[in-house]
Amino acid sequence: MPNSCDSLSSSSLSAPTALEVRNLQKSFGDISVLKGISLALSEGEVVSVIGPSGSGKSTLARCICRLEEINGGEVLLYGKRIDNARHSNRDIARLVGMIFQQFNLFPHLSVVENLILSPVRILGLSPKEAEEKAMALLQRVGLVDKKNARPNELSGGQRQRVAIARALAMSPKIMLFDEPTSALDPELVGEVLEVIADLADSGMTMMIITHEMMFAKEVSDRVLFMDEGKIVEQGPPENIFVCPRMPRTQLFLQRMLVHFGKELVTSTEERTCPDDA
Amino acid sequence: MTLDFSAVTPYLHMLLRGAAITVQASFLSLLFGTILGIFVGAVRVAPFGPLRSLASAYIYVIRGTPLLIQLFLIYFGLPSLGLNLPAFSAGVIGLTINSSGYVGEIVRGGIEAVPKGQWEASKVLGLSYLHTMRFIILPQAIRNMLPAIGNEFVTLIKESSLLSTLAITELTMVGQQVRSVTYASFETFIIVGLIYLTMTSITSLMLRHIEKRWTVD
Repeated sequence: MPNSCDSLSSSSLSAPTALEVRNLQKSFGDISVLKGISLALSEGEVVSVIGPSGSGKSTLARCICRLEEINGGEVLLYGKRIDNARHSNRDIARLVGMIFQQFNLFPHLSVVENLILSPVRILGLSPKEAEEKAMALLQRVGLVDKKNARPNELSGGQRQRVAIARALAMSPKIMLFDEPTSALDPELVGEVLEVIADLADSGMTMMIITHEMMFAKEVSDRVLFMDEGKIVEQGPPENIFVCPRMPRTQLFLQRMLVHFGKELVTSTEERTCPDDA
Repeated sequence: MTLDFSAVTPYLHMLLRGAAITVQASFLSLLFGTILGIFVGAVRVAPFGPLRSLASAYIYVIRGTPLLIQLFLIYFGLPSLGLNLPAFSAGVIGLTINSSGYVGEIVRGGIEAVPKGQWEASKVLGLSYLHTMRFIILPQAIRNMLPAIGNEFVTLIKESSLLSTLAITELTMVGQQVRSVTYASFETFIIVGLIYLTMTSITSLMLRHIEKRWTVD
């Protein structure tokens, strides 16, 4: 019965726990969206969250960065709770960076102004320091030449890269990505994933909600599969994608395979895990 | 009948002086009314329940009662509370309050038209409510609001004619004086009307110019 797919532990056991969620519950009116989510991310760990629409993935990210108030449970960053009203926007912003599906850049500000507003207002950097930092980040996402452009002059991929640089300008401890490429034209997805993968390599602790299965498989240390407000299954990507144990995970991935054609199948290793049946 | 404007022309300088008072009263009311209106509108969408209700009630009462009654309350009513205001001040205060109600409603609409994602991005970047309002929401909302604010400006210039009821010698009041001297009612009020039309046209043109410059990007 035990096989190579059974291990649930993450690779980096020695690293401190960056993010911990305990029995998180969230409902909108009578509808319970998160039904007791518990998870932990070690420092530097990259975790992808996959699952069907409406499974609560986005709500989970929004609860962690306090865009939604939680109804029960705890959210801890480096052992400290950040889920109660005592924590201002300012406290959370120093710890958690959030990337939205729709970018949400400020359209009336130039790219560089988007990047320096919060560091100046919240972190107390001087405009000069903030601009130097902004330029370094634009360099990192490859958009130095767009520093004075307005968001509406940029492609979707460029906008999302600016949004990532803007979040990094606050020097967060952890980055959350809420379907960062779902609003992009297919040909623009690659450039954004490249930036995210680069960030993962740099040791940033990240939680990525995505429908890009190939990307999740390549970039993640661990994959969570969510359905109906619960974490159904989690493990290293090779386990989840190659030999998922839960029927619901299998069903979801089968549907995804239909969407992605053979890509996911041909690139996965031989199905080495023994059949449980 | 024939129109004879020659009877009115000797009084043209009086009418223009009246027009100057109209411009003064309108300009001051526009300025204060817009500032007060932005404040009322911003409070109207505040996350703070009691304040929001207060702003909402203010807008409701101001928009639901005639400007003439508001002017009478300020000029003829307040003295019974021991507050005697000069006619011009009372007139400007009345117009200011009145336009702030309308501008407040325009501002509310403009703010609510800014996508929710802008609030969320500001929040996760650590901006407070007031910072978000000042740096992110209002600059975008004002662009949405400009055409409606422009209409409000034009309306206000026309409604300032009601100040004549407080014996302020603005354009309409002077028009009545000129008519009573010349008996040339039709001619006098045609000229008065044309002067109003000139003022509103210039205002519209200026606003359209500003609108264009602001919406370039």
